[in-house]
Amino acid sequence: MDSGVEAVSSSLRIGVDIGGTFTDVVLLDPATGRLANEKVLTTPDDPERGVLDGVGRILTGNGVTADAVRTVIHGTTLVANALIERKGVRTALVTTRGFRDVLEIGRELRYSIYDLFIDMPTPLVSRALRFEVDERLAADGSVLQRPDPEAIRALAAELRQAEVQAVAVVFLHAFRNDAHERLVKDVLLAELPGVTVCTSFEVMPQIGEYERSSTAVANAFVQPIFERYVGRLVAGMADRGLPEDLYLMLADGGTVHHATAVRYPIRLVQSGPAGGAQAASVFGRLAGERDVLCFDMGGTTAKACLINDGEPVRADQFEVARVWRFAKGSGLPLQVPVIDMIEIGAGGGSIARVDALGLIQVGPESASSKPGPACYGLGGVEPTVTDADLVLGYLDAASFLGGDMVLDKAAAEAAIGRRLAEPLGLSVVDAARGIHETVNESMAQAATIHALESGRKVQDFALLAIGGAGPVHACNLAKRMGVRRVICPIGAGVASAFGFLAAPTSFEFVRAAMAPLADVDLGEVDAMVRELEGEGLALLATAGVAPETATTSTSALIRYVGQGYEVDVPVPRAVLEGAATDRIGELFAERYQALFGRTEAMAAEIISWRVVVAGPKPALEPVARLEEGSSLRGTRQVHFAEAGGFVETPVHDRYRLRAGHRVDGPAVLEERESTIIVPPGAQATADAHGNLIIDLQL
Amino acid sequence: MSSLDPVQIGIVWERLNGLMDQVAETCVRTSFSAVVRENYDFAIGLLDARGRQLAQSRRSVPSFIGTMSRTLDAMLRRIPKERLQPGDVLITNDSWLGTGHLNDITMIHPLFRGERLVGFVGSIFHTVDIGGAPSPNARDCFEEGLTIPVAKIVEAGVENALLVDLLEANLREPAETLGDIRAQFAAYRSCSERLARLLDDEGLDDLEAFADDVLDRSEASLRRAIEAIPDGTYEDTLTADGFEHPLTIRCRVTIDGSDLAVDYAGTAAQIARPVNSPMTFTQAYSCYAIKCALDPGTPINDGAFRPIRVSAPEGSLVNPRRPAPVWGRHLSGHYLPPALYGALSRVVPDKVIADCGSPLWNVYFKGRQPGGGRPFVKMFFMNGGHGARPNQDGPGCLSFPSNVSNQPIEQFENQVPLLVTEKALVPDTGGAGRFRGGNAQRLSFRSVADQPVSITIRHERVDHPPRGLLGGEPGAGGLDLVNGERIPAKTQAALEPGDVVTFQTPGGGGMGPPAARAPEAVERDLRSGLVTAAYARRFHGLGG
Repeated sequence: MDSGVEAVSSSLRIGVDIGGTFTDVVLLDPATGRLANEKVLTTPDDPERGVLDGVGRILTGNGVTADAVRTVIHGTTLVANALIERKGVRTALVTTRGFRDVLEIGRELRYSIYDLFIDMPTPLVSRALRFEVDERLAADGSVLQRPDPEAIRALAAELRQAEVQAVAVVFLHAFRNDAHERLVKDVLLAELPGVTVCTSFEVMPQIGEYERSSTAVANAFVQPIFERYVGRLVAGMADRGLPEDLYLMLADGGTVHHATAVRYPIRLVQSGPAGGAQAASVFGRLAGERDVLCFDMGGTTAKACLINDGEPVRADQFEVARVWRFAKGSGLPLQVPVIDMIEIGAGGGSIARVDALGLIQVGPESASSKPGPACYGLGGVEPTVTDADLVLGYLDAASFLGGDMVLDKAAAEAAIGRRLAEPLGLSVVDAARGIHETVNESMAQAATIHALESGRKVQDFALLAIGGAGPVHACNLAKRMGVRRVICPIGAGVASAFGFLAAPTSFEFVRAAMAPLADVDLGEVDAMVRELEGEGLALLATAGVAPETATTSTSALIRYVGQGYEVDVPVPRAVLEGAATDRIGELFAERYQALFGRTEAMAAEIISWRVVVAGPKPALEPVARLEEGSSLRGTRQVHFAEAGGFVETPVHDRYRLRAGHRVDGPAVLEERESTIIVPPGAQATADAHGNLIIDLQL
Repeated sequence: MSSLDPVQIGIVWERLNGLMDQVAETCVRTSFSAVVRENYDFAIGLLDARGRQLAQSRRSVPSFIGTMSRTLDAMLRRIPKERLQPGDVLITNDSWLGTGHLNDITMIHPLFRGERLVGFVGSIFHTVDIGGAPSPNARDCFEEGLTIPVAKIVEAGVENALLVDLLEANLREPAETLGDIRAQFAAYRSCSERLARLLDDEGLDDLEAFADDVLDRSEASLRRAIEAIPDGTYEDTLTADGFEHPLTIRCRVTIDGSDLAVDYAGTAAQIARPVNSPMTFTQAYSCYAIKCALDPGTPINDGAFRPIRVSAPEGSLVNPRRPAPVWGRHLSGHYLPPALYGALSRVVPDKVIADCGSPLWNVYFKGRQPGGGRPFVKMFFMNGGHGARPNQDGPGCLSFPSNVSNQPIEQFENQVPLLVTEKALVPDTGGAGRFRGGNAQRLSFRSVADQPVSITIRHERVDHPPRGLLGGEPGAGGLDLVNGERIPAKTQAALEPGDVVTFQTPGGGGMGPPAARAPEAVERDLRSGLVTAAYARRFHGLGG
């Protein structure tokens, strides 16, 4: 995969993903499908340095010049990290009189019911910087009290005094009518030059004052930092003769031009994982699978998301910076379109210990990368998942990370022996097996429930494994879930950056329009959709997308009257234009039936409309660059529960498995960033794109 | 079966817990009622053939914790195991056998493997409509609705027509309640299939040996925690506001080796108001509070309750006799955790918290939509400040010991003709201490209806505020006002158009002497405005 892009055309595409440790760069020549990749160290202090360095290196390494590059698409953890580390700018909140504490009170719910010592997430804006304004809208969006511009000017003086760099303006019911937020924003912008002002309506006009405030505040908190970063990166690209337009990967799997992205940095909160999901949908399609469970197991956590009929499943809420064991409710809620993903504290660095019941518990505490697993030899003494994988023969001490890091097996055995085997009266190998199986079982349970939440059965999906630890655990995990097929794509280590190249340019709008389904004026809705479509096409045009190639998809968020959450119902344009309200009711019923297995004999109501304007999906037909020669590298002792213990197992170089080549388990297939473990009874076959399709015997 | 090693025990354990969550998810998705779907007022449990509870779905409300094995026990006394066959479903909502009020229906389904009974799967769910004329003024349990005695609602796969007819004839929304009842049947089927597969996969004939092992482990874990507490008897008494007169809640905790006994002797007698807590509810909240304090990290099962004995005099507020009204059982039951923590604070002060601003506050609004529109009834929840902890302040407005979230104001105003004019933390309401109690909140509602709107409240901790612990000061008592004038905490009142009703929940109690509070913490509170200069001066001698 990294042996060079030979046929140089002038339409090269580059994907760059900044991760915690590495910045990954992928170069694609769409004309030939040839791919190359590069990993450089992330430079946290000025991340653009790592990006420009990586891009420079991949160009030089492949003998191409900057002017051959047509598009650069970028994703980064910068936004999420700024929120997690609370390293945004000094931010104020301006809100409706009587409601400044909404941001602190939250939803009043405990996220862990037995813990008396629960910590609630600290709001991004301290109480002293939360200001109130005399203004009020009614629930239908009509005006009860208009804000007085004079009072806002006085407030601006206070804000100046407080030396804030950003202000979020959030008024009750403003998701239905942004007049007051706009008025206040205009006055503040005029009075406070250089200060960022975000309104809740522009960030995300959705019902729910706490969640909307949290979202608008988070956006304001990171906006100046993000804008400066993008500015530096774009300037650096121009200096190097790269394109002037940069595209950024959003958390919902679309990309936007940098001029749009800097207004809504919060929409980038999960951009790396979104790239991974896009990559999974491409790899799944190449392998002939439309329903794919994307399983990404890294150093500290494992993430999973569903690709349903070729498209990643989306959600409209995300929680960032969870303060307790990845628990739902312990983070800051963000109303942003995202790919629906679960994350659990189970990665290669997750620590195993004996719990109060005398059983093995793995994670969520992690040895991270420093000191790391005991076998890293960097001072770690706690046994981790990686230590267990080494003891069981899944990893090889000499060939970890392509041989860049030599693992210390004796240290792994000592840690597992001391912390688990001895207290439990088990052999070191049995304790290692316990770690491996326990972590797989908890991931299997989490993924099974995640599928159920989408109204699907996990058995109907193929499992696609990415991340350093994903392919090591994939087959065992799949068997536990009753999943029959595992896909291990080539280039799993740079999947996110690759996925950026697969993402269409797109933007999502949400507009509140609460009404009983029967009373909805579809003519009005159609007009609103057209207006948003126009806005979306204009945004896409800045990204070079021709209007005739763009598509607009509309969906209504509908619920039965009295319910607290909505179902996303795609509504074809013809239904809107034909003013076929009854048809929307039917579509809702079909969708509800699919999700819940029933419908109710109750009236339905529409809460809001969602409009996504998207350019075409780039065609991606990556061609694997394989190496010559026999794939067999030798054998080693690998533990398989199916075989009752250690088995002398053939070890293959996956980069030498040519299309159609079949390897029967037990087998180990080594790649640079990971190792694929094929259990006894399973068959792994390489396809024309270099992916390995593993069929399991259940 | 003694061949089960800790690895397999751990895996089976994980799988059974996951199984409960999967069944719960299936059930929630197919259930009719919004209470189940949105508030998770619902639980699924697995019991072994001997009726011992092994696992429970993770997301459920504390009042359902550990009640299922007691309910099954009562069911089996009525219908012995020999009379059970595949396809049966047992049902009851008896307040004294279930979770303490009629709105929770417990159903249990025997799981067979071939001819052999291998366990039970049960579910508890909250239903809004159970017939009767439930009101905050109910004088006995008959007013509160229909009691379904222990019965087979399904026998060998066939629904009991008489029982279904009886339910239909006595409920206002029979379709909803029966829909929820039937939703459980499908969940039992899927549980049965999944459990069979699990036993096959793990090479197990039944659950007994696994149950023996894991229940012993859970028991041992709690016993170790109890053993660490010095033997002795520790007491606490608190006073609830009550109705016509205050009510005493007395709690005596006896530690004897690894056994812990809780006795509520000395607690007030039951009253003819719907605030009595049947023994099942008393037990659930007592065990819950103990588990939170002493062994929060382990899962809930029968083993975790073996070291605990809970007793209360019959005919008391916390162990009432029929026909006591029990609908609002939380109004006494929520006092049990603070009473227990008060007693335990004398020996394990580092494991307990000061009083929270609970029992949970709520208000019923009843009226008509403007312009002669439809009638509405709306319940709105408000949490008080959380009690201070031994090492940190109490959060403002967090639900304990129940776990009920607020409703967004933007949704509320969309449903009823009331305008919320403030939802704010109230300065100086958290009890002072080395660690401060959580602040209370104040909510004001202005009627924008065109007819009177009636409000009904049953608020506690107005006359007797949440107490501090270990030298901490009490939190501020709650406050109910109409147009700025105080109204009784237990009342029904009419709001004229334009009237404003204000509820200020109680603040959490403080922990440790206020003089020991770090000056930086006081400064921080002054900067945020959560305390005023007067408070800082009075309790901490600071703040000019």
